Amino acid sequence: MDELLRDFLVETSEHIEGAENQLVQFERDPSDASLIASIFRLVHTIKGTSSFLGLNRLQDVAHGAETLISELRDGAPPTERTVTLILAAIDRIKKLIEEIEEHGGEPEGDDGDLVAMIAEHAQRGVREPEASASAVTDEPAKLEDEQPDQPAATAAPKEAPENRSEDSAGKASASSNGAAKKTESHHTQETIRVTVDTIERIMQLVSELVLTRNQLLELTRNREEDTVKAPLQRLSTVTSDLQDAVMRARMQPVGRLYSSLPRLIRELSSELGKKIDLVTEGADTELDRQLIDVIRDPMTHLIRNCADHGIERPDERVAVGKPEVGTIRVSASHEAGHITIDIVDDGRGLNLEKIKSKILSSGLATTAELAAMTDQEIYQQIFEPGFSTASNVTNVSGRGVGMDVVKSNIESIGGSVTLSSNPGAGCRFSLRIPLTLAIAPALIVEVGDQRFALPQHAVVEAVGVGGQSPHKIEKLQNSLVLKLRERVIPVVALRSVLALPEDDSDRDNLVVIMRVGQQTIGVIVDDVADVQEIVVKPLSATIAHLSIFTGHTILGDGSVVLIIDPAGVAVALGIEKSAERKSETVRESSANSDSSRYVLFRAGAGAPKVLPLSLVGRIESIEASRIEEANGQFVVQHRGRLMPLVLASPAVDIYSRAVSPALIISIGTRTLGLLVDEIIDIFEGKLDIQMDNPSADIIGTTVVQGQAVELVDMAYHLRSAFPEPDRRAHTRGTRLLMASRDKYATDVLCPTLMAAGFEVNVCGDTSHAKILIQETNLSFDMILVDLEEPALNLREIEEACRSSGYDDVPIIGLDGEVSANMNNFGVRLATRLGKFDRNAILGAVSMMIEANLDEMPMALAS
Amino acid sequence: MQVQEQGSASLDVKNVSRVRMNAQSYFTIFIGAEMFGISVADTQTIFRVQKVTPIPHAPKDIVGLVNIRGKIVTAVSLRRRLRLEDAENFDNPLAIGMEHKGENFALMVDQVGDVLSLDDTMRIPTPPHFDPVRASLMSGLYRVNDFLIPALDVGAVFDFTK
Repeated sequence: MDELLRDFLVETSEHIEGAENQLVQFERDPSDASLIASIFRLVHTIKGTSSFLGLNRLQDVAHGAETLISELRDGAPPTERTVTLILAAIDRIKKLIEEIEEHGGEPEGDDGDLVAMIAEHAQRGVREPEASASAVTDEPAKLEDEQPDQPAATAAPKEAPENRSEDSAGKASASSNGAAKKTESHHTQETIRVTVDTIERIMQLVSELVLTRNQLLELTRNREEDTVKAPLQRLSTVTSDLQDAVMRARMQPVGRLYSSLPRLIRELSSELGKKIDLVTEGADTELDRQLIDVIRDPMTHLIRNCADHGIERPDERVAVGKPEVGTIRVSASHEAGHITIDIVDDGRGLNLEKIKSKILSSGLATTAELAAMTDQEIYQQIFEPGFSTASNVTNVSGRGVGMDVVKSNIESIGGSVTLSSNPGAGCRFSLRIPLTLAIAPALIVEVGDQRFALPQHAVVEAVGVGGQSPHKIEKLQNSLVLKLRERVIPVVALRSVLALPEDDSDRDNLVVIMRVGQQTIGVIVDDVADVQEIVVKPLSATIAHLSIFTGHTILGDGSVVLIIDPAGVAVALGIEKSAERKSETVRESSANSDSSRYVLFRAGAGAPKVLPLSLVGRIESIEASRIEEANGQFVVQHRGRLMPLVLASPAVDIYSRAVSPALIISIGTRTLGLLVDEIIDIFEGKLDIQMDNPSADIIGTTVVQGQAVELVDMAYHLRSAFPEPDRRAHTRGTRLLMASRDKYATDVLCPTLMAAGFEVNVCGDTSHAKILIQETNLSFDMILVDLEEPALNLREIEEACRSSGYDDVPIIGLDGEVSANMNNFGVRLATRLGKFDRNAILGAVSMMIEANLDEMPMALAS
Repeated sequence: MQVQEQGSASLDVKNVSRVRMNAQSYFTIFIGAEMFGISVADTQTIFRVQKVTPIPHAPKDIVGLVNIRGKIVTAVSLRRRLRLEDAENFDNPLAIGMEHKGENFALMVDQVGDVLSLDDTMRIPTPPHFDPVRASLMSGLYRVNDFLIPALDVGAVFDFTK
């Protein structure tokens, strides 16, 4: 295709959408002559260039449109008939442009019908106000079948559009102001045209640069030479900035999605006989260009839905005291890695009763299940397949497909849809969309000696099924299933899906639970290695036919891994088309009396880590650019003070991303930020910690939801954040026994003591305490006993101490209230302290231990 | 010839001299004792493969995926393509980086030899009794002094649809 033609096509298709909008705006506000002038210029250019290039069909259609537009420019009123004809001409131009783009020339055929209709209309006089009022249903789709002698009958009533434009003039112009300004600034801003391929290539190179940078950081992490560190740090920052900038270059304004909406609303209004205003906001919010195309259909569908089901007819609106014209507001905004697109109408809201009866009649839930649902959950049912409340199927919506497709489309790109409704006042759909598809978090799993990536958006959880785990894989009718919290989930071994050789080793397996559309499936893997942000690259043509993979990527260590398509796994399981399950009603019981809450997070490779939530003040996102280095330590300015930052694992790479999550932890008067890779979850449970971990920053390992996790030693991080010499040096290696079931004691006191450098074992009753004292070789330097706990017998504990040679070990009583009375227990207490005064406890314990170290053991008892 | 490690700087083989008029430059490559020619024009780089990621369900001749300087490349074994057994020592095999129809490939071979200049006067017809599988992978047969060198047809080597 020659250069001139290509430029013409690109420019025309870019501007023609704008023309459509401007025309619809002009119809509402004919006083704005600049709008029609710019459309005229565009159509005129199309006509001129196409005649020069010998594109006769295009020339004829453009000529016809130009005739009508010039009438409008000269002051003819924009009747509905005129506007509809011009829009039809624009449609034809678009179609022709598409054809030319595809085949390099105009397709066969002629546009006599349209051109004749336009000529007819022009001749009859665009200026003549027509009398007939039956034309509200007129729509461009019918144009082809119309007889040329009809226009007088189908022409629009003059009053209706004018009334409407008066009503909405303020609002429409207010809402269009942004767009108008935008177009103007486009003319002044200097731009160059870059092909998508070029951007993709730059993106690739940047990814490569990031990997190399990461390798360098890894190499120098344990070296002390400062000569390399400073420039490397700079390189690191620049790389991150570059990555950001390139990402931004791939971005396009959401306004591109808005461009087709005014016309959509115009057509919906006339089709449904409703009066609707469109307000768009946040047109300059930017989004990855790939995503824009994915969102277009779901968004259009939701708007159709609002117009059809939400907005009432004008008479109904007036009857309930609302303005005659309904409003649909589409707004986009940007927040922390996501953009939110809200579609809000001021119509009647969702009809709860109608939805309920529809749920029952379509068998989505039983009456009992329905009764247990909140209104919100009931609303959410409209996204289930096969759900539609429109009792009479209209052209606009109500074909029973749609909302579920909207949901699955949005979920396929890692987004989510929620809705809220206010009866009588309208409803709101919120689309939450990730900023980009190119970089997505993925779960890296191991099978044999190979690794694969599972897209994180599909992953629900990972469940251990070997050894001690209560969850077991069973064989039902030759198929594997996993019973998990009352649900039966079909599972398949990734090994067999991928036809990898069988492995004899009897290792404990993990099942990764994934959601594929409406299905929940489990995939058996050997291990979960990591969660990584991966740069998704499409498969090359030779292997693109392998439907089990969606692409491949390069991990931080330079190795290539294949990305598994969860839908492909579902197909391999043979369940993709099977009947969808009913909505889940089984929920986990959360009210467990002796459990407490923990933060589960990931830092570096290896097992995820946990911290009691009670230690965490809050969770913050810290931008890499805000992190400074002072005194060989990371710090960040926080409320006017410097807050030290420590890495939860040396492998946490804060410079590889713009923002890192940090757990803000306050112990005593000290506050520090613990930088992690990713917060996974906050869960409720009971930790049974095995204190056998030799590594310095981990207290021990435990199992959470079938997964091994490591309990982080805050004391270690506290020491690295506040490296002043103090009594902690003494406390190292000192072991305490905490006998209590109190949540405060186990969750707050123990970590505090641990943070101060003590090693702490916890027991909940006398027998457990005795086992720890008598049958382990742990040597306790002090025992703290909860005096309020009836399951603890002080006397027996003291007996146990004595029989194990711990005569001198001080026993401290902890009580709900402070009292100096130490005689009522029949046991020699070193001291009695208020349970909730952790600083006093810490002080007293430290003092006693120091005294002990100074070999004055008996001084304590007094 | 010098061979670069995977991941290091590129070697621009297109600048190899000794190009005669009306002749094409060919790398000689070896599979065991057999010699083949592969057009320099089709070749981008020669490197040693460090780590291959196997692709489940892929044709057997495709060994897997390889990362060459941030680019993911499909590695194809010439041995398997020729219906030969894998080499005994499969560690860090030599591979030739090539592009075909916009896709990047690494053709794994045993050895790489000199660059030869072959022109049409050296070309002889393929004997009719050649193994059809092998014949389909060749673009021609050339006589150089005492050697007969089959030139590989890159299009056929990387075409897995047959």
